[in-house]
Amino acid sequence: MAIEKGIRLGTMTLADLKKSGGLEAAMRGFTRFYLGPEFCENLLDGSVCAEIAWLQGQGKKICLLTPLLSEKGARLLNSLFKRLLKLVKGGKIDPAGLEITVNDFGAIELAKRNRLPFKLNAGRLLRNNVFDDAVDGFKVHNGRVLEFFSKLGITRYELSTIGIFPKVNFASGRFYGFNRRTFKITLYYPYLDLTNTRTCLVGMRDVPPEGSALGVTCARECLISSFEITHPSIREKLLVRGNTIFLEFPDKFYASEKDLLTINVDRLVYAPFP
Amino acid sequence: MSLATDTELTQAMKIVSCFTDLKELEPLAEAGADEFYTAVGELPAFGSKNLPSTDLAAAIIKTKALGKKISLAVNDLHATATDKQLGAITGRIRDLDKLGVDAFIFSNPYLLELFSGGRKRLRAELHLSSVQPVFNSLSAAFFQRFNISRIILPNQISSHEARKILYFCRTRSIETEIFDYRFFGCAYVNGRCQLHHPIHFTLKSAMLNDSLCHINAKPGGLIKLRNLDIPNRAGELPGIINRIENRFTRRGSPRLSNAATFFDFFASGVQYLKYGTRSDRQEVKVKKVGELRAMIGLAEKLSSSRPRTKASQAFILELAHWNKDGF
Repeated sequence: MAIEKGIRLGTMTLADLKKSGGLEAAMRGFTRFYLGPEFCENLLDGSVCAEIAWLQGQGKKICLLTPLLSEKGARLLNSLFKRLLKLVKGGKIDPAGLEITVNDFGAIELAKRNRLPFKLNAGRLLRNNVFDDAVDGFKVHNGRVLEFFSKLGITRYELSTIGIFPKVNFASGRFYGFNRRTFKITLYYPYLDLTNTRTCLVGMRDVPPEGSALGVTCARECLISSFEITHPSIREKLLVRGNTIFLEFPDKFYASEKDLLTINVDRLVYAPFP
Repeated sequence: MSLATDTELTQAMKIVSCFTDLKELEPLAEAGADEFYTAVGELPAFGSKNLPSTDLAAAIIKTKALGKKISLAVNDLHATATDKQLGAITGRIRDLDKLGVDAFIFSNPYLLELFSGGRKRLRAELHLSSVQPVFNSLSAAFFQRFNISRIILPNQISSHEARKILYFCRTRSIETEIFDYRFFGCAYVNGRCQLHHPIHFTLKSAMLNDSLCHINAKPGGLIKLRNLDIPNRAGELPGIINRIENRFTRRGSPRLSNAATFFDFFASGVQYLKYGTRSDRQEVKVKKVGELRAMIGLAEKLSSSRPRTKASQAFILELAHWNKDGF
């Protein structure tokens, strides 16, 4: 069994990818495209539907990334879901070739209410509901949490590289009450999302002491800037884009793809930028 | 003239105070605590300081004697357990349920599910921790299936954004709780943050509070720019750099919680205000609970005599000059 290769474009449009000269290489090198905002609802945009349809027409599979949601984001995502349903009905999108990654339990509720015909994945912001992070790897909490998500139709979990080949507790699954064959892992590289805030580090203006903020507003500054930060307390550089702080692990962390399959990773997703 | 709060919806806002020592209970009650919560080491809880497990039975008796309720936080999302360990956790929770704990605070959905339905259901109430942050009413609806009786809102939501959640909870008799904005409040999302533990990064020196949140460094010199270079917006970059430099070194990203937000939550009928810094010393805990009591008193006084906008303005003004020698 081969590892599936994906690329995370996030909110970069196909037009921008083409302009940068990367579209052809992406089409050649990857079978699955990850589109949409993973970390910020302000970037939810209906235009992604046309890109999904176009890429499917080129024989590509798609995963739509969705972020943490406030009421505003929930409304935007609801209309996006309805547009996707229309395109499915009109035969423009094949539901078997589209997955939705959720990072908010409200998105799971919304998917259920809309009776979406797409497979759902648990995104990176939900990972600690299922996995315990350790210095050298990750552990499934207990089989009951896999059952919990499985009942919601979720059996694929998205994680980030930690820079080394991770140790897991899957071989001792019987002690933790799970069967390792019941779930799969999508592994993103080379960036690990370390933390996330709603009030964007680069975009949102300060809230005056007397002001009761209506919400989180910005001018999409994250689309034009990312920062590398040298922190006085740690050796690694931190990367900031918008409301999320990342670490970068550029070195290859596995010897062969076969090794990845032993830790349930059957899909690798390359992120060209954090 | 309509007064500041919708009186048919609201009751007096109550204070939920943390404690980690039996000796703290009486002074905290005297200072104004209406409910108590704590955590013990043998059950997975978010945060660092706990009540000795051997004191829990006595704490239950003492809180009842004071006429108060007691909750137990079992709210660490990282609830990794073998089946054998899970059996021990489950057994301990059921024992404490019988012993009289009034509510358990959970975050991990699998633990919530374990105790929420049918014969598995605990006698005690179930509260949803802010470590499982609810930012929208759909999420509230998702967790409602576990028969939760209270949602503890994260501090990274504005009162305006929370309106639909509050309506949802009110119409389903789910209580709501907020954190005090002066003594608590990280800008990063609880339950979605790994800044507090040096797991994937290497320390050069000890970090303040074991966290990367507050560098406390002088601005400048820390940041190198990587620019994705969209020339038609290049003029914005200096402003953005200035903003991130200030935020990352000193102030942190903008906080949604402030005096104005507190007043709005208060006036919207949120029933509980939490003070939850378990690592504070006893005298600090007592002083802070006293402060919360006075703050609620002020909000009540102003809202009973003025229209909402005027009451809010007066409250913000008072709080701007409040407790100058404070914390």
